Amino acid sequence: MFVSWNWISELVDTSGVDPKTFAERFTLSVAEIEAVVEVGAGLERVLVAEVVAVSPHPNADKLRLALCDLGDTRVQVVCGAPDLVVGMRVPFVPPGVTLPSGITVREGEVRGVASPGMLASEADLGLSEDNAGLLHLDGCDAAAGTPLLDAVPLRDVLYEIDNKSITHRPDLWGQYGMAREVAALLDRPLRTLPVHDLVFTQTPPLHVRISRHAHCRRYLCTRLEGITIAPSPVALRLRLRSLGVRPINNVVDATNLVMLETGNPLHAFDARRLAGHELTIRQAIEGETIRTLDGELRALAPSDCVITDAEAPVALAGIMGGADSEIRPDTVSVVLEAASFDGAAIRRTATRLGLRTDSSARFEKHLDPNTAHTAALRFCRVLLDLCPGAVISAGLLDVGPHIDAPPAPTCVHTTRSYLRSRLGLDDAQLSDDWMDRALTALAFVVDRVPGGGGDALRVTVPSFRAGRDVSIAEDLVEELGRVYGYDRIPSEAPSVAARPPFLPADRAQERQARACLALGRGLTEVVLYSFESEPFLQRLGLGEHDRDGQPLPRLGLANHLSSDQTHLRRVLSNNLLAAMEANLLHGNSAADGHKGLQIGLFELSRSFVPIRPDETDHPALDRGLPLALTDVTARDAYLAGLSPSLREGALSALETTQPLPWQPRRLAIALGERLGGGQEGLVQAPRAVSQRLFREAIGAVEALCRQLQRPAPICARLAEPGHLPRDLTATQGHVDLQPAWLHPARHAAVQVGDHFVGLVSLLHPEVRARLAVPAEVVLVELDLDALLAVPAVAEKGEAPPRFPPSAFDFTVPSRASTRAGVLRDALVRCGAAVAAITVDVDWVAAFEDAEATDDFERALTFRITCRKLDGSLTDDDVNLARQALLEGLLDHPDVRGGWAAAMIVHHQQS
Amino acid sequence: MSSESPAWQVDIDAAATAALAAVTEATDLAALREVEVAALGRKGSVTALMKRVGTLAKTERRAYGAAAGSLRQQVTAAIETQRDQIRAAAIAAELDDDTFDETLPGLNPARGHVHPLSRVRLELEEVFTSMGFSVLDYPEVESEFDNFEALNIPGWHPARDMQDTFWLKSGHLLRTHTSAGQVRAMHQFKPPFRAIFPGKVYRYESTDASHDHTFHQLEGLMIGRHVSVGHLLDSMRTLLSAIFKRDVQVRLRPGYFPFVEPGFELDISCQVCGGDGCSVCKQSGWVELLPCGLVHPNVLRAGGLDPDEWQGWAFGLGLSRLVMMRYGVSDIRLLLGGDARFVEGFHAGA
Repeated sequence: MFVSWNWISELVDTSGVDPKTFAERFTLSVAEIEAVVEVGAGLERVLVAEVVAVSPHPNADKLRLALCDLGDTRVQVVCGAPDLVVGMRVPFVPPGVTLPSGITVREGEVRGVASPGMLASEADLGLSEDNAGLLHLDGCDAAAGTPLLDAVPLRDVLYEIDNKSITHRPDLWGQYGMAREVAALLDRPLRTLPVHDLVFTQTPPLHVRISRHAHCRRYLCTRLEGITIAPSPVALRLRLRSLGVRPINNVVDATNLVMLETGNPLHAFDARRLAGHELTIRQAIEGETIRTLDGELRALAPSDCVITDAEAPVALAGIMGGADSEIRPDTVSVVLEAASFDGAAIRRTATRLGLRTDSSARFEKHLDPNTAHTAALRFCRVLLDLCPGAVISAGLLDVGPHIDAPPAPTCVHTTRSYLRSRLGLDDAQLSDDWMDRALTALAFVVDRVPGGGGDALRVTVPSFRAGRDVSIAEDLVEELGRVYGYDRIPSEAPSVAARPPFLPADRAQERQARACLALGRGLTEVVLYSFESEPFLQRLGLGEHDRDGQPLPRLGLANHLSSDQTHLRRVLSNNLLAAMEANLLHGNSAADGHKGLQIGLFELSRSFVPIRPDETDHPALDRGLPLALTDVTARDAYLAGLSPSLREGALSALETTQPLPWQPRRLAIALGERLGGGQEGLVQAPRAVSQRLFREAIGAVEALCRQLQRPAPICARLAEPGHLPRDLTATQGHVDLQPAWLHPARHAAVQVGDHFVGLVSLLHPEVRARLAVPAEVVLVELDLDALLAVPAVAEKGEAPPRFPPSAFDFTVPSRASTRAGVLRDALVRCGAAVAAITVDVDWVAAFEDAEATDDFERALTFRITCRKLDGSLTDDDVNLARQALLEGLLDHPDVRGGWAAAMIVHHQQS
Repeated sequence: MSSESPAWQVDIDAAATAALAAVTEATDLAALREVEVAALGRKGSVTALMKRVGTLAKTERRAYGAAAGSLRQQVTAAIETQRDQIRAAAIAAELDDDTFDETLPGLNPARGHVHPLSRVRLELEEVFTSMGFSVLDYPEVESEFDNFEALNIPGWHPARDMQDTFWLKSGHLLRTHTSAGQVRAMHQFKPPFRAIFPGKVYRYESTDASHDHTFHQLEGLMIGRHVSVGHLLDSMRTLLSAIFKRDVQVRLRPGYFPFVEPGFELDISCQVCGGDGCSVCKQSGWVELLPCGLVHPNVLRAGGLDPDEWQGWAFGLGLSRLVMMRYGVSDIRLLLGGDARFVEGFHAGA
């Protein structure tokens, strides 16, 4: 959308106003200006030339020589334009002029013939993209040699408006509406549009019928005869051009000129090419077609509104006319249509057909039906001026629901003090008089409410702003604020009572978790998309299953942009594995200490779990609408405050709202290490690598629990993979238990307090083999909400022990399948039974006993630390503890028989 | 005293010679300690000689005792001297050592990285909480009501076209803006209150270097008895100056957002040229930063508040865009791309 300063200046006195300076005011008060374009800048030396002779170019078929009269001199230039004829007036560009296209015209030779300048096309002068022929200055009565800018109104300043900033302002889609804004800002009067001396007859032009279901609110129509189709005068053509509309002929140009002026699109039919004497505005019938002005045959749908004559559709309402009834060179009489169509319907059809026109773009904004009337009158006035032989030969038919039942004017009741207070201005800054003048300039009618002491106002909204744009007092606050200038409003500190902010604990905990993993554990945080890539899941065979092996439901998208995003993720680990794979492929490192080899990633985010409609007692149930609105009274109070059109939609949205899916916060960790080689279908990870990665993952979980002040996690393999330990069923269903990546023999379920909070697992070998890079990866998926639901461990300021501890090691011969944790737990239990001494047990090392000749080939070393709180340990104390621990292992199935007994004897002897 | 040496004198002398030789041969502290134990320990050679006093005739005991004691003293002194020498030599050697390399790279524990989106979000949360704002978190899968109707965006509204939306088969949608939390906040808190709610938002649109279908916003909302454009101006200038850590000028332009009235586009003075005009601000001195406005009465109503009693302002800050501005990120898709190398570029803490 362009605003022409010349045009505005015809409607408002802009003397003394520099359009380039005013542009900032306009941006701050009306709409965003994307660019200020100076048309004609740099063209001061371009002259009007009359072509007095045309001769062939001696060396080129497509070029000709034009002898041009420039008043006091004649020059011959080389010209390639096909439309060059003797007698035409065209712009002559002398050497040295730089055209808007950036080309500087030089004196030189074209194919061996001197050419001191050039004749210009519209494109050369920056008027349009049209480079096919010269700019014809026919009808321009300036003498040859006159500077072009003096001869035609080419010089102008255009504001290029960001269309998005005026979608809510149908009145601003015409120059007149823009002029009203300028008039209000300058506090100068706005001229009325001339519609004088129009005489309509009593005869209706046609019979017009509007079907009950047609998306048409008003239809005006008249007929003009005695028309001679001709090009419009150069001034009009230039004006259309500079606003982006291609001149066609006087009749079509008149419709477009009035559209640009009023914002209301018009259509002119060739009266002789309409069948019968009736136009019908109705919805199209399935199977109907229309050939539009652009030559396309278009299949119509029942949602499209059409204008039909006695035989067939003749126009696609509000979008484009039909080819059969278009204005042609032999047209002598026209039927003018000035109508108002429903915006949403026009938008639907234009979108469906992919046919966006200047007309549809305006109708989409919900035009004021009253503007159609102005536009009809303006068209008649403009065409009578353009076409001296033309006469109005019919009445001005005006029908439609808008005429049958005119809507009541919109009135806003408010007070001056309210308007001032919302802006933060007082009555000295915003006087009553100023307020009235500003609103009146914008065509509001301001009435004082009797008995209101001059403060209470009734403001009648002009019809072109009523309805969807201005309806409440806050809208008037905006009108006054922008005319006053927001930059003049003094800023003022708000007087909201200070109170400590509400900071949900989980935000602080998220922060702790992030710091722990990134800064404490050396992992790199990633933030990933919420969609899962189906191709990736399929390639790796991923997915989540329930205890019975059934796939767990995910939330599917009704519309998606690519096959990578058909579902929302139910867990974070799948996407994290995808990111891990990509990073491993790139050889990326994440931890400075392990360049290129090991990568550690984590993500903290929401996941999405469907809730079945029958799970009404689901602890995470969120009804998806504010609780207060489920209360009937509160809901009715809300609905009562809305306008009827809003109320309907709000009610329906409230009634159809389903409980939201569960959106728990989760935490996923992935540690990966690239492996050398790898064969087709089998990637074997060295035991040491797998064990180390797994221990690092467990360490991260332990550190996280410490950081969040939760009890230490208990990590143990599930008795049967994918099945919950019996005593943890209280929180089942909140964690997906059987992800496909779970390694049945190398995983641990994580229990914190009474809650089962997640899984740590190396990749299932089948999944690992499908990675695009040979690597070992361990994944952690934690339900952060469940973890944080475990009560925090209270911290105590205990005095440190005063007496030194005493420590010794046990190296226990055990089986290859023996779990260090099992022996440690056994030792801890025995240690707990020793009176007056605390015994700590720490695993130190595991190694193979190469000399073992039986099943007990794995040696596990534990460090035992004894401590006495009330005194120094004696040798006897330590021996007592040692004996108690060894006795506990006497019959342990994981310990080589006789070992403990032998140890006891050994210690008693020494 | 007899001029003839007693028989045991040979043993004492031999022990002295052997022990002193061993002491001299010990060139480090561990070896010296072994020598000490071998000579003076419980089973040491000198200790053994000392013990022999009991086997001698009474007349000899005195002389023997003195000789053995002197031997012990002699060995003990030799060990101490040797120990001092070894210590001194070791310290001198360390001080003279010219082979130590102080230029090897520092040893660091593995160091991870916080995502810049988290970092900027946490930083803003700190600024806002210091000014009394609560920090809230609302669902990403939302109801049509909360995302649209409650925000005064009815079905026919062009905004529903512009904000092309991801719809779920369940009829829910992925929130198109953090504004979807506005009404939730009004129901959650008794006014007056002020809050921010940062988070992930979604738009059904194709991606390029400056558009992604998933990005992050931070919504701000203040509800009070009396809230004016003047208050909004003051709040935004104060908050943005705190965020940018320098004095920021703001200006308001008319902007159209159905849930605020009046609605604004807020520009800040260009942070590159300071308002003089440069290529970043297209010579205007101003850069468009965020939409804001006074909360529309219909939104207050949907939040269960009486617009005659309560007023408010709201703004929506593009977190992703702020991260891109601050760190010169040229492609928005880097933010959620999952490439560790990108995140590694950011070193500061959480």
